[in-house]
Amino acid sequence: MTIRRLEFLQWAGLFAGAAAWAAAHVLGYGVTLAECNVAGSRWGISHDAWEGTLLAVAAALALLAGLAAVAVLVGTHTASYESDPPTGRIRFFAIAAAVANFLFFVVLLLDLAGTLSAAVCRQG
Amino acid sequence: MTAAPLPRRSSLPAAWWGMSILIASEGMLFGCLIATYFYLRFKNPAWPPDGIPAPRLVVPLVLTACLATTSAPMQLALAAVRAGRVATARLFLVAALVVQCGYFAYEVHDFHDQLGKVDITRDAYSSIYYTLLGADHGHVFLGILFNLWLLGKLARGLTRYRANATLAITWYWHFVNVLTIVVVGTLLSARA
Amino acid sequence: MAVAAPPSTAAAERLDRLERMWRSRPGLLGWLTTTDHKRIGLLYFWTTLVFFGAGGVEALVMRTQLAQPNERLVGPSTYDQLFSMHGITMIFLFIIPMTTGAFGNYLIPLMIGARDMAFPRVNALSYWIFVSSGIFMYVALFMGTAPNAGWFDYVPLASRQFDPGRNIDFYCLGIIFNSLASTLTAGLFIVTILKSRAPGMSLNRLPLFCFAMFAAAIGLLFALPALSVDTIFLFLDRNVGTHFFDVAHGGTALLWQNLFWFFGHPEVYILIVPAFGIATSIIPAFTQRKMVAFPLVAVAELLVVFIGFGVWAHHMFATGLPTVALVFFAGASALVVIPSTIQVFSWLMSFVTGSARFNTPLLFIAGFIFMFVTGGLTGIMFVAVPFDQQVTDTYFVIAHFHYIIFGAAVFPIFGGMYYWFPKITGRMYFERPGQISFWTIFVGTNLLFFPMHILGLLGMTRREYTYPAGLGWGPYNLAETIGAFLTTAGILLLFGNLVASYLRGEPAGADPWHGPTLEWTTTSPPPDYNYVVIPKVTSAYPNWDAADREEDRRKLRDGVLVLEQGHEQVEVTPADGWLSEIVEMPHSSPWPPLLALSLALVFTMLLIEKFEIAGIMGILCLLTLLGWHSTEPQEA
Repeated sequence: MTIRRLEFLQWAGLFAGAAAWAAAHVLGYGVTLAECNVAGSRWGISHDAWEGTLLAVAAALALLAGLAAVAVLVGTHTASYESDPPTGRIRFFAIAAAVANFLFFVVLLLDLAGTLSAAVCRQG
Repeated sequence: MTAAPLPRRSSLPAAWWGMSILIASEGMLFGCLIATYFYLRFKNPAWPPDGIPAPRLVVPLVLTACLATTSAPMQLALAAVRAGRVATARLFLVAALVVQCGYFAYEVHDFHDQLGKVDITRDAYSSIYYTLLGADHGHVFLGILFNLWLLGKLARGLTRYRANATLAITWYWHFVNVLTIVVVGTLLSARA
Repeated sequence: MAVAAPPSTAAAERLDRLERMWRSRPGLLGWLTTTDHKRIGLLYFWTTLVFFGAGGVEALVMRTQLAQPNERLVGPSTYDQLFSMHGITMIFLFIIPMTTGAFGNYLIPLMIGARDMAFPRVNALSYWIFVSSGIFMYVALFMGTAPNAGWFDYVPLASRQFDPGRNIDFYCLGIIFNSLASTLTAGLFIVTILKSRAPGMSLNRLPLFCFAMFAAAIGLLFALPALSVDTIFLFLDRNVGTHFFDVAHGGTALLWQNLFWFFGHPEVYILIVPAFGIATSIIPAFTQRKMVAFPLVAVAELLVVFIGFGVWAHHMFATGLPTVALVFFAGASALVVIPSTIQVFSWLMSFVTGSARFNTPLLFIAGFIFMFVTGGLTGIMFVAVPFDQQVTDTYFVIAHFHYIIFGAAVFPIFGGMYYWFPKITGRMYFERPGQISFWTIFVGTNLLFFPMHILGLLGMTRREYTYPAGLGWGPYNLAETIGAFLTTAGILLLFGNLVASYLRGEPAGADPWHGPTLEWTTTSPPPDYNYVVIPKVTSAYPNWDAADREEDRRKLRDGVLVLEQGHEQVEVTPADGWLSEIVEMPHSSPWPPLLALSLALVFTMLLIEKFEIAGIMGILCLLTLLGWHSTEPQEA
């Protein structure tokens, strides 16, 4: 793989999964606030459709970001995270991205399971 | 300066990063204001609450479009500065300022008008409406001050410092223009 | 660098020029107008210690009041001000400015091989704003109208209706004023770490201390606006008559809580992450090995703050949120444990696989790990919503966060004071009293905070100015009070030791610990210009790279990156650290303190409701900014 391709995959891997979790988290909270407060009765929000789509898309993005990171790790296997830039730096961030995206993927799956199985709009 | 010339790679200057910090912080501020708008909306059965008219559609959209177009002369001013053509840069800056000042003057007058009809202390809707809109106007005003300062500096010639300043201030204006679109969109969503 | 042999004539001339270019202005005026990050760091250090003392006295008064049932040392309204000011002081006026303003300011440029921060006058401004905001808050206490609704100041208690005096106005304005300082510091750290590193220091070679400071800076930058918006809303509700939090007019009290905790939770990670950075500096030095799993520790520091932005509603588990919301926030709260755990395992493995020398700094780090893990375990317990709903607002919570804050922030601060004492003062501290001070503080804090878990489970709630007899709470409270005084004794011993060491300690030399990072390559204390040449960096442990240090000596002789022609430093590309520019830096300047003063006038006028004069003071601020930008850097 060329350095440019590796560079792109490294940054995408580092930010895409994190951004996906952050967006899904905030929007997911927003959906439940919208449907469970006064305004929600006017709007008819389909809970499972919204939350399910949001979290599934985010989980898919986190997975893709993780795969991008793994691709970079494979593409830089002759170097170490201590090597000279740019290869060393690229590998360093790919290690970071691989770990982070795994965590985001798992938590998004748990969120998906939790939101679909929880009683909608019951006060906790 | 230094004895031995070392190879250098081009990179955005620290001034650009400094302005990015300001944009991130102010962007977050507006994120909180917009989140507040929707949070309060979720809690209210009618929005706008009874007695308050829905916001006008056409005038805000037209004005926002006018403001957003000033990104073009700002970017052209930056290009001129990078090419060393200070006089051209000043012209584009003045062109942007004319539109920006016209926009701001109208908005101040309109804000005052609206307050006369519906006071900020009416309810939660009026509280967040005027705060959000007022904050946006405040940031336009800050941008105008930046531009006036820059005009003054460029009147005395071009230096790397002033070129970096032009870069930073143009970046700020792109932020303000996008921000105004988002803020006006949020406020107009009450019509939905 | 520590120059072994006398330099050649050319080199000596360069050194002489460098000396003259960077020499600090003498006297009081020099300190008032300084932009030197080391001086600003020291100013922050002493100022935060004064506030630490104030916060400590507040705590001791509360502990004395609570030692026995039914005491009347202070009445309820004074007690309200004490616990509010204790929280505000310790968080906003001690820990944040100590870890970022003192440690961060002093050490970041040294660790990245720079001569100063990227925007030195902004650095000075942040200090003068910080000290002004602290004075602003304490004027409130001396006037008897200090904030009194807790450090998180919930509405409707904090509204004009229930808190009509000036107390909460001091809170709103003081907090906003203080947050300006932290925002400036945060932005400064981010730009400096990205742009001012020594060439060759690509991001995979950035010291872990700097990763931690970077993470904390990102946290401050994105969290503080939420607090500012919240306090602006409260100020408007109280003084203008808006209805953000007023249920009768379409507002909601929970808006305050959501915005506050969106700031407040990242804030508590920001309290401890710089301290993680201190720990990750001390451990390699005292185990003489590289940090185990360096990339994982670096990403963990960033992830703790990032994920920490997603957990805020776990402070609201008892407010009647919908179940689905609980899913999101309990999930994120469980997730955030993992990066912390990665770091703990890495530290412990570094202990086990290195050759640990338990000098005082490492003792404090060992104590920190013990306290942090204990506090972390109770934190995990709160993730279980049913459990949280039982113990929220009890002493169990107080136990949890004091184990974390005292254990995971204050212990590393004390360890860091000992670790860098030789570098900053040029003298070695006395080891034996150092170790005794550690053990005293360690025993004292455990005696102080552990019984609070039990009291919380027994039902003692927070913020009670006294409690009745016959509940069985007395003995635990008494033990805690004894622990508080024991801790105080240990802290006094610690500072006494440092003062005595400053006056009588042995000369320390440049590198008493064979530490890993760049600050150990220069003299103790460092010269005004930090480094004779901008150092060559090819790893994350530059002081252990003898070849590079040898190269630096050649660079001085050949005039490479000495930058003695002006008051100069380098700019690099952000990711890989390739040289990009040589830039001229500002020297001492009167504008930062003048601007801080103008801002203080604005906030004071707002407090006493002279809004037009506040506007005029605002114009004064703009004029000061004009003056600030009237000087430009010299061109090549």
